[in-house]
Amino acid sequence: MARMKFLCDADRCIECNGCVTACKNANEVPWGVNRRRVVTLNDGLPGEKSISVACMHCTDAPCAAVCPVDCFYTTDDGIVLHDKDLCIGCGYCFYACPFGAPQFPKTEAFGVRGKMDKCTFCAGGPGEDGTEEEFEKYGANRIADGKLPACAEMCATKALLAGDGDMVADIYRERVMRRGGRPQTWGWSKAYGEG
Amino acid sequence: MRSRIPHILLLAVGVLLLTACYESSDVTRHEPGVYKGEADPLAKKLENDGELREQLNQRFDGQRDR
Repeated sequence: MARMKFLCDADRCIECNGCVTACKNANEVPWGVNRRRVVTLNDGLPGEKSISVACMHCTDAPCAAVCPVDCFYTTDDGIVLHDKDLCIGCGYCFYACPFGAPQFPKTEAFGVRGKMDKCTFCAGGPGEDGTEEEFEKYGANRIADGKLPACAEMCATKALLAGDGDMVADIYRERVMRRGGRPQTWGWSKAYGEG
Repeated sequence: MRSRIPHILLLAVGVLLLTACYESSDVTRHEPGVYKGEADPLAKKLENDGELREQLNQRFDGQRDR
């Protein structure tokens, strides 16, 4: 059985936000809500690094551990999903998540939050697959169609990898080996010199 | 005898009102930490549909560098 994970290769990410756009487009995410974000460290400084962050589909998900209504479930493939019909919008998952993945698209009167929304690994949610109801609630179910999550499939530099943890780690390991095995033909130091 | 009738009436109304306080002892107990929502058919589909699994694996493998 696979363990689905995302991995963002910081040396490849060019902060184009293509993954963010692809996610928003594929899932019709409401205005003001980002299931995926690109975070840049040392922005504007030499050697800046960017990574694309969304729900990391944790093996022992802290969001599921704190949910008072137990609306989270993990599929056999390790995708962490939730049932919006059960969610009460308490926001505990938001406080528990180290990646800031849970989002709350609707703000009601007196600061009451709406149902939580997060990255589904493009695997939809509970209930019948491929229905309009599923799409409205959870977004696209690309996994059921045999496709990768839209963000990973759209990544122009293949910085964002999605798939079984072992396979993703294997691809990354290969890349690191190759980078270390030859002189830096491109990159920051080649273009701008050291510092 | 006459003075007793309002008392009996009052008692009857009181008892009738108290019936609204009845609480069902048939309580649904949930195990904490166990998912309570609707089942996801995708999980079964991934488990049983070898073709879908193969299709997914091909896509995942396509992420390798050319």
